[in-house]
Amino acid sequence: TAAPTNILSALGTIAPHRCYGHGVEMTRHMLNERVLLVLRLFDKINPDKLTLESQFAKDLGLDSLDHVELIMAVEDEFGFEIPDQDAERLRSPEDIVQYLCDKLDVFD
Amino acid sequence: LMSSAGGTLIRQAVKEAKPVFSATSEDARRRVLNLYRAWFRQLPYIIREYDVPLTLPMCRRKLRENFEKYRQVNDIRVIDLLVAKGQMELVETAHMWKQKTHVMDYFKQTVTPKPTDFLGKFFDGKEP
Repeated sequence: TAAPTNILSALGTIAPHRCYGHGVEMTRHMLNERVLLVLRLFDKINPDKLTLESQFAKDLGLDSLDHVELIMAVEDEFGFEIPDQDAERLRSPEDIVQYLCDKLDVFD
Repeated sequence: LMSSAGGTLIRQAVKEAKPVFSATSEDARRRVLNLYRAWFRQLPYIIREYDVPLTLPMCRRKLRENFEKYRQVNDIRVIDLLVAKGQMELVETAHMWKQKTHVMDYFKQTVTPKPTDFLGKFFDGKEP
């Protein structure tokens, strides 16, 4: 009789198999909430003045380095890199949500 | 004849300065923002690896301060050189070629600030 070569076949009960998971079903409303949460937690933004249409530079008074930090916070939240040419066009929360919808295939 | 040829050559060289890295100010701006991003992402690892008595907000404020120091610079070649020096500092810090003391040097905790008002300068012994 052949000796078992690894512990799993020796145990005989645990067969290795793969589990594939689908991501969370995202809606535009959920993206709005997540982006606004990230922005409210950002300490250089006044949460009272924050709406979906408020511009970062004009209404919320953020300079370019704050903008960079903000985009990095959004990247950390959603887990993918946003390149520079796209990041400099994102000037309000509405722009960010629209960009994320395009990247994550959210259509409503 | 030779002097006139040399004169026109010198005049042409003075009109346009050869770029260091970036050709336009947009290019230079992108380099600066990428350097800021790289430093910002490295900060938590710096604190952990050098075991330095700093918090993340302190480090972020110091990073912002060091970038704000050169906010008024508009010459593209100077910006390129500053970015190159910042990049070199980042590489040395990230690879742990520095020591804890070099990281703490950024915070200048042992430097006494030079006096700016008259009495301060007088007590220091400096002539006005």
